[in-house]
Amino acid sequence: MGLLSILRKLKSSPDQEVRILLLGLDNGGKTTLLKQLASEDISHITPTQGFNIKSVQSQGFKLNVWDIGGQRKIRPYWRNYFENTDVLIYVIDSADRKRFEETGQELAELLDEEKLNGVPVLIFANKQDLLTAAPASEIAEGLNLHTIRDRVWQIQSCSALTGEGIQEGMNWVCKSVNAKKK
Amino acid sequence: MKLKRFLIRYYPPGIILEYEKGGQLRTKSIDLLELSPDSDPDELVAEIRLTEPLVTETRVEQVKQLILRLKQKLSQREHQNVYLFKTLQAHILPLTNVAFNKSGSSFITGSYDRTCRIWDTVSGAELHTLEGHRNVVYAIAFNNPYGDKVATGSFDKTCKLWSAETGKCLHTFRGHMAEIVCLAFSPQGTLVATGSMDTTARLWDVEGGEEVATLTGHTAEVITVSFNTVGDLLLTGSFDHTVSLWEVASGRRVHTLMGHSGEITNVQLNWDCSLILSGSMDKTTKLWSVVDGKCVTTLTGHTEEVLDVCFDLTGQLIATASADGTARVYNAATYQCLVILEGHKGEISKISFSPQGSKLLTASSDKTARLWDVASGLCLQVLEGHADEIFSCAFNYEGDTIITGSKDNSCRIWR
Repeated sequence: MGLLSILRKLKSSPDQEVRILLLGLDNGGKTTLLKQLASEDISHITPTQGFNIKSVQSQGFKLNVWDIGGQRKIRPYWRNYFENTDVLIYVIDSADRKRFEETGQELAELLDEEKLNGVPVLIFANKQDLLTAAPASEIAEGLNLHTIRDRVWQIQSCSALTGEGIQEGMNWVCKSVNAKKK
Repeated sequence: MKLKRFLIRYYPPGIILEYEKGGQLRTKSIDLLELSPDSDPDELVAEIRLTEPLVTETRVEQVKQLILRLKQKLSQREHQNVYLFKTLQAHILPLTNVAFNKSGSSFITGSYDRTCRIWDTVSGAELHTLEGHRNVVYAIAFNNPYGDKVATGSFDKTCKLWSAETGKCLHTFRGHMAEIVCLAFSPQGTLVATGSMDTTARLWDVEGGEEVATLTGHTAEVITVSFNTVGDLLLTGSFDHTVSLWEVASGRRVHTLMGHSGEITNVQLNWDCSLILSGSMDKTTKLWSVVDGKCVTTLTGHTEEVLDVCFDLTGQLIATASADGTARVYNAATYQCLVILEGHKGEISKISFSPQGSKLLTASSDKTARLWDVASGLCLQVLEGHADEIFSCAFNYEGDTIITGSKDNSCRIWR
């Protein structure tokens, strides 16, 4: 629907629509995750220069998922998309230990954003299919997730490639939206 | 009243009279919307003389020459194809809208990277980057026909006015409570109208930089605004399923057009300001009478949402584009569907006539733009190359250059 569909998905969502923002460093697997959610082919995915939007049905909700490119030069533009966010999903490449510090910093900055105040956050510890992947518990500790007190949060290990763990994560998303909208 | 000189207007065909009245220079236009290559110039001059006292006996030959020139322009067939002239890696994030100045010498692009850029069409050089918005630059416009100013509407809730020559910001219009998603200059260039997700439209004074009026009444997002040819009326379309017509001078709502059962996607007035065209997510297109605000007819046929609608410049034809992947052309007087444009492999989100009215340009999610012959409905050309959905496209005034703006962060010039 072109630009018009963007406007339509920009509106403050009606009860059964949920606006989900998918953020994280480049090469974390956000687009693969999005395509996996929409049951689309994941064999040819290139770095996202802008954004991708998909709508998926889950547990009676229409989830409008915005996947935003994570390259350093376009990270300052993440805030273009903060308005009306219901749930933030933050994707981490669990095997890329060199960038744990960088990804932790970006997440901390997001949690400080006024427009994302109180927004539930799900952290996907992605790429668990790789042998070198750090377990979710180690990432949670490294990122000091236990210090988050101003919102509900969850960390879920997953593999966007195999689809493992994704459904569990999305169930948590729907549960927290339910709790918030009540 | 003293006639000073004639000006010619090619699209739509017309003759402008510049005259003096009470010491002031004024203009009025004689529209020749039905002029065709077969029109008899002598008959036409005689007809004009019946209603236009400024065209006296001594001026007859001059007017006839102008009509002959207009006829000549009309019969120039533009058969030549356009070719990819330049690809500009215009922005670091997806483009939103694109627009030409009247001469087509430059054009502007808006983007998710929060800038609007002014480009030289021939060299492809970037003339200015308009920086200052704090969010997506969504709606953009030149103050045509002058082309010395640019207005930008942003998701940051402000509208900015810029000098096209220096790139300097002249005014920032503040007042909207949500994203600005559409805007238009009045034909005289004295006002800017903006529409917002905050359900209002607002009018701003270009010179002074102040708000002139807030147009309240819609109950959902205002997603399209347009002035009539003269500039005394403003048309707004909303996600609340209605269209409103406003008197610019008073800010009073003249008509509320109710009848669509889905969000409005685009609205437009025809050149002589007798009809309003509206497209809707309810899969239909409606025509309304400006005089009484009544629905004249409902054009059906599309099997999915109607995403864009437009009149040709003379107001004789209507084109509609749909999520069903087809476009349709209708006769604006008989409401008959003349041709169906089939070929796109995805939704068509934008459609526009060439200024001559002989071609149509469509933009689609299938990453192509297409050129169509209006009379036959045949696809003349597929403009391929973009790596992602095309969000916007435009013809220049001469109809020989096209720009396409895409989600792939680039824009392409075709000529």
